[in-house]
Amino acid sequence: MGFEIISLTAFGLIIIALAAYGYKISAKTAEDYMLAGRTIGVVVMFFFVLFAISSSWTFYGFPGMLYLHGPGYVFFIWGSVAGFAALYMFLGPRLWALAKINRFLSPVEALAERYESKGLRMVLALSILAFIVPYVGIQPLGVGAGFQALTGLPTIWGATYTVILLVVLVLLGGMRIVAWVNIFLGAVYVTALLGSLIWIVQAAVPGGLPGAAERLMEIDPQLLTTPGPFGEFSPVLVAGTFVVGLLAFSWPHVVIGAMTARDKHLFKWFPLLVFVFGGLFFYIIPFIWGSLAAPSILPPAELAEQAAAAGSTLEIEADRVVQTIITRRLPGWFGVFVLMGVVAAAVSTAAVQLMTSSIIVARDVVQGIFKPDASDKQITTWARWSVIVIVVLSLTVSIIDTGLMALYLTDVSIPGFAQWAPALVGGLLWKRGTREGAIAGTAVGVIYLALGLLITPGGSRVLLLDLHPIVPTLLVNLIVYVVVSLLTPEPSEEIHTQFFDEVDEFLRSES
Amino acid sequence: MREIMGHTAGRVYLAVLLLSIVAMVAFIVTGGLETPAGEEPFLLFGWMTASLVAGAVFVIVWLIAYLIYFFRFWPYR
Repeated sequence: MGFEIISLTAFGLIIIALAAYGYKISAKTAEDYMLAGRTIGVVVMFFFVLFAISSSWTFYGFPGMLYLHGPGYVFFIWGSVAGFAALYMFLGPRLWALAKINRFLSPVEALAERYESKGLRMVLALSILAFIVPYVGIQPLGVGAGFQALTGLPTIWGATYTVILLVVLVLLGGMRIVAWVNIFLGAVYVTALLGSLIWIVQAAVPGGLPGAAERLMEIDPQLLTTPGPFGEFSPVLVAGTFVVGLLAFSWPHVVIGAMTARDKHLFKWFPLLVFVFGGLFFYIIPFIWGSLAAPSILPPAELAEQAAAAGSTLEIEADRVVQTIITRRLPGWFGVFVLMGVVAAAVSTAAVQLMTSSIIVARDVVQGIFKPDASDKQITTWARWSVIVIVVLSLTVSIIDTGLMALYLTDVSIPGFAQWAPALVGGLLWKRGTREGAIAGTAVGVIYLALGLLITPGGSRVLLLDLHPIVPTLLVNLIVYVVVSLLTPEPSEEIHTQFFDEVDEFLRSES
Repeated sequence: MREIMGHTAGRVYLAVLLLSIVAMVAFIVTGGLETPAGEEPFLLFGWMTASLVAGAVFVIVWLIAYLIYFFRFWPYR
């Protein structure tokens, strides 16, 4: 136990030291704190974004789902890779140029100005916060589960440790250091994830990956195909999961990353890293872990028996099966290193989500609505203090609703994030999109989603027609946005000039 | 994206990406990933499942299309 505590303390101190250094060198302006002074280059941006989206979910929720239901869930990843690349290929350059020309500090601010509406600013800010805040809380709890699997300590110990790191990092460092620290965290994360996979395959899987596949053929061939052992991933659900992944372009904490870019050339190179490093390498690691290595070493039926004996459930134990196998099969010191990887994954994601949330609170809610004449220093101070409020709130929500990690991400957060997608895409690309259309579409989509998730007689999501939550809600949102926009007066010529013509000109001329 | 829609190469690029999505959805919905009764699951090189191979092919199609368009035709390159 002593070795674990000393190692994790040292790891935490490195992160805190980096945050303190970031505070020392920062320019102390709102633009520097919130958008890293718009100076992030392509390599830092890649690690910043990749590890912002690769949370403890990649270690627990994702392999846990594959472990239980076979490989069908990986289509969320294939869709997400395309979605993230699409953000940087299609929307990123315009959003970045628009924000740079007009000194916008948040994407919500950019859209509020585009649609000339404070009401929309409030609707977008509150809806994004409503769906991002619970997701922040999942990260510390994910680490807590890993702590418990490794040390036997209650979940709250790991969660508290992670929260302290998060708060210090975001309070002191701001976006620049969050981005830079993500490189350090990402290196730990990749080493732990890949190292553990290689080691476990060599140590516990005779015959390597083909050997693992052969073993699964003996245990249950459905573990190697869709719809999986429980018949969960039907063709319709797999296709829906893929489409949900495609909507990754609307994740607010990823969208805001595009605004921190140094220049337009980043948008030319960034997708290359997404496809090659992200799609064809990084996400394959947890896929192999969850769909091949883990079930061949510890078959689900065996884990179910152990879970029942321990008063737990198969679903809960599946979420931490990777950590459980590492703890049982590899040396203790390596289990600690892997847990550091999980902490790195959780902190790298939650820090960006916290930054995004605090920017929206300070810039869009407080300054945008209540105190328009706030100074730079005041905005930064509010952003910092809102971090603590958001952390407490998010942890409370996550503890109350202890839903499965993978399902929370795909069933609640992502459909929620997607509700601003029509207003975002239309605002950047469609001159005819209007304020009324954006407000009506977003509000209808969010209300429909909330009611659909809350009203479930007999466990059935009748309002959502028992489809994936994103499908009916986004469709209704999009139809309302387009129809209402076409029925209401076109935006003024000034808006066309500021948000389209000037942006085109800037992108053509900027070198 | 407005600049991509504004010329032929861009429209072809978008059409390729859109077609790849439609093809993927059609492949999934028509049961392309499922194992017919009595047969063994598809495995490439003894361990790559159909879900992994299909996704990798999809990403490679996007990668090739992106490399050609963004490095030869993108107006802001």
